[in-house]
Amino acid sequence: MRRGSKVGRTIAYILLITYAIISFGPFVWALLVSITPMTYEKDGQRFGVDIMQWPPKINLFSWPPRVFGAPATLSNYRTVFEVVPYARWILNTVIYAGLTTLGHLLFDSMGGYAFARLRFPGKNLIFTLFLATMMVPAYVTIIPVYNLMVRYNLVNTYAGLFLPKLTGVVTLFMMRQFFLNLPTEIEEAAIIDGAGVVRRFFQIALPMAKPALAALAIYTFLGTWNDFLWPLLMTSDKSMFTLTMGLNFFRTSYYTFWQLMMAATLFMTLPMVIVFLSFQRYFIESGVTSGLKG
Amino acid sequence: MLKKRNVREAIAGYLFASPIIIAILVFTIVPIFQAGYYSFTDYDALLQQKYRIRFNAQEALENYFFVSPDEAPSDEELLSLFDPVDFIELSVGVDLDDRQKELVRKEFNSRKLIADFLEFKLDRIYIFSDFMKSYMKNGASTFSRYVPQFVGLSNFLEAFKDRMFWISLKNAVVFSLVVTPIQTLLAIVLAVAANQRIRGVKFFKVSFFLPSITSAAAISMIFLLIYSKPGVLNRLLGYLGIGPVDWLGNIRTALPSIMAMNIWTTAGYFMVTFLAGLQDIPTSIIEASMIDGANAWVRFWRITIPMLRNQIIFVVTMGIIGTLQVFDQIYFLIRNQENITISMYIYQNAFSYGKMGYASAIAMILFLIIFSVTFVQRRLMPEERF
Repeated sequence: MRRGSKVGRTIAYILLITYAIISFGPFVWALLVSITPMTYEKDGQRFGVDIMQWPPKINLFSWPPRVFGAPATLSNYRTVFEVVPYARWILNTVIYAGLTTLGHLLFDSMGGYAFARLRFPGKNLIFTLFLATMMVPAYVTIIPVYNLMVRYNLVNTYAGLFLPKLTGVVTLFMMRQFFLNLPTEIEEAAIIDGAGVVRRFFQIALPMAKPALAALAIYTFLGTWNDFLWPLLMTSDKSMFTLTMGLNFFRTSYYTFWQLMMAATLFMTLPMVIVFLSFQRYFIESGVTSGLKG
Repeated sequence: MLKKRNVREAIAGYLFASPIIIAILVFTIVPIFQAGYYSFTDYDALLQQKYRIRFNAQEALENYFFVSPDEAPSDEELLSLFDPVDFIELSVGVDLDDRQKELVRKEFNSRKLIADFLEFKLDRIYIFSDFMKSYMKNGASTFSRYVPQFVGLSNFLEAFKDRMFWISLKNAVVFSLVVTPIQTLLAIVLAVAANQRIRGVKFFKVSFFLPSITSAAAISMIFLLIYSKPGVLNRLLGYLGIGPVDWLGNIRTALPSIMAMNIWTTAGYFMVTFLAGLQDIPTSIIEASMIDGANAWVRFWRITIPMLRNQIIFVVTMGIIGTLQVFDQIYFLIRNQENITISMYIYQNAFSYGKMGYASAIAMILFLIIFSVTFVQRRLMPEERF
């Protein structure tokens, strides 16, 4: 029996390591391409670089290290900022994701608190109605919402991007669940002390909700940062693009600027990786991101 | 006293909930009903724009008469030459239906327009609907709001006869039926492997999770590189004697390539869900079965899978709902109309062809499909879980 489990663990290791390579591989490949120059000079002559070669000629023992036979460089990451309004796209994405996250933090927690703690007529009916909307695919509502934005001239504005995203039923539900599980004793004591609802919410419930708010913020920020469909509809002007919208700029029907495209791709992924590594426990342990992706 | 407190609590409740109630009402609930209404009409985004057309009325009239007011034509002469329907259709460029033509012939104030023309009052940009407000004696509202025609069930009937609808629906369903079971099984296998008292579980969890926090747009670009014809995948397969394949360019391989990419993206993410479930299985059950002589294979199917029932139902439902709506990857990587999925077809109809009525009808059909999937899930798993 012991032998069996040893074999089992060896198989498990092989499986896990293989899948880790598969999981990481594409990112490593993109990284290699992103640090490869388009052309390089040697002995007064200019050489092109074949980034499709296999195996990629890598030499870590020279300076600068060589990838695909060419000296590695970070210049692609700078070039991206020169050939397209990349800084502007970063700003747009930060504004879109930032304001959306703020909206969720405020409105979802207020709504979650109201639906969890306060009694008001029609509460259950409204909540049931909200739950029912969760089954409706985005493709049903985007057409009327798009028309609404067109009617109020909000296409190519920040308001057009973030207004429809300021709250959400899934995240409202999350916050309501959190407040339902929170012990009520402290708030009851505060009621006896004569604290009003506003004070109870901001001074007692909200500070206790910090872990839930952190998870909510990460979930929303990540989802909006990576969002593509809504920016695709709301932005047609290059100066209003978000980062996901901009990626298409590095390919034309004739030529794809692989090095720049990979630099731009990794550049927009990196902040999310940092967020993920710093707040892993919210992702992996809380299960709060369930439903993040299809 | 108590009563007063209840009233105050209700007011506070409404105040706290009002931002989200308003937002969900405006951006979700009302649009659902609007989309339902659109789906029974011939709503056309291009027509909706037609009353918003902008033109310079002075120039349009000069072109219409081939004359400038400088040449001092008499207003009676111009009036006899002027036909408002011709002017609107040919010089302004707005098509009118028969009912509108009749209305224009009856109610258009040609005399006022020509008087203004001769006094150079028209030399500015007009929006067509505002122009009509100024020069129709009655009934200008017909030209201010686009009212789509009610067409009953004909959008739905059109969909059933539309080859592209069936192709895109079939692609989405095949995509879902291939990706969901494979990613679920792969996630379970990885979770079982990681549950074998392995060192570095945290490292594996983090590395498997990475693709799912990367945007679909970024992943599409990375795989565009990997799948390209001279790309690394073909180089590697070359060692196995498999000739270079244009993975994304070939109709037969494009969609399977994206399915593989999708499995890669989500399997590691769902693995974390399953691992949490596995860690809840009491070890006593497993030890008991080992004493009974059950081998690893039997244990997997008889114990592990049934114990993961709830997680499996959750992951499969999330998987089906997500994959049925796959869009970003299709937008970036599919160049062939034969390979598009239903969400892409909705997008194309609504935003490329302007056929918003038809697109809404297809979206309603997608809603029905997703509703059924959720309904089955609720049946299998009565307790709520998010």
